[in-house]
Amino acid sequence: MASDPDEELLVRIADGDPAAVRALVARKLPRIHGLAQRMLGDSAEAEDVAQETFLRVWRQAPKWRPGQARFDTWMHRVALNLCYDRLRRRREIVTDDPPQVADEGPAPDRGLAAQDTGRRVAQALAKLPDRQREAVVLCHYQELGNIEAATVMGVTVEALESLLSRGRRALRAALADLVER
Amino acid sequence: MTKDEFQQLAEAYGGDVARWPAGQREDAALFATREPGFAQATLAREAELDAALDALPQAQASRELYERIVADAPAKRGRVRPWRLWLAPAGVSAALASVAAAGVILGLQLGQQAAAGAETSAQAVADLDVSAVAEEG
Repeated sequence: MASDPDEELLVRIADGDPAAVRALVARKLPRIHGLAQRMLGDSAEAEDVAQETFLRVWRQAPKWRPGQARFDTWMHRVALNLCYDRLRRRREIVTDDPPQVADEGPAPDRGLAAQDTGRRVAQALAKLPDRQREAVVLCHYQELGNIEAATVMGVTVEALESLLSRGRRALRAALADLVER
Repeated sequence: MTKDEFQQLAEAYGGDVARWPAGQREDAALFATREPGFAQATLAREAELDAALDALPQAQASRELYERIVADAPAKRGRVRPWRLWLAPAGVSAALASVAAAGVILGLQLGQQAAAGAETSAQAVADLDVSAVAEEG
């Protein structure tokens, strides 16, 4: 099994090395925040998930044993569990209003057309069933390999591919005027 | 690899074969040499969706979030820093109360470590999680 690139930082963090803490946060925060943002479509909730994920990292770091799992895989699973907690809570609140997609504001280097496409993609992603969205986020955006993504999701590779295909088909249908059907 | 298999992989993993499962890429490349028209059309169609998905704006994690997370990380293990307790702004009485509480907590943990079969008392002290002891100031 290939060595875990995060292992060295975890050992140093367990020893209380502040530079290692900063390095791990710099390395992982964009990924975990991005994952939560794409799963939840809400910036404030994404920040909460990211912070709670790291609280668990700080508790786990002293106990981490090399070779038991890839740390990045474990971290993704923790973040996704926290996302699903929030998604379940949303469903418990009966409302006619879907979650508002975060308005990121004008981006100086993005054309209006790109901004519109981005907003449409965000809306289409938010409407996917949770597990299809999870599969698409893990494989397309987080760029996990199929085996790692299937491990994170607790499914077989075949089940992952089925979720990906269905998710991408649904996205294609939602974006029919932008992409070929 | 058949046409159906190639299409199923493209529909799952997108229009860039480099992002397909490693075990399938060579077969996909061979298929593309046998059926170039079909392969190119299939990949182009999925690449168009990939490009649309890539337009999703990525919210950046704030600097404040970064600093909050770093601040949440525990201090170095094994360092109780008792001198900080004496300099607590709440005063000497609060510092004395903290030391007493720390002593209770450490005593309880030593007892637990002994019950858990720590080999030596020195090892038990080294293993204590002193992050449970609140620091003043």
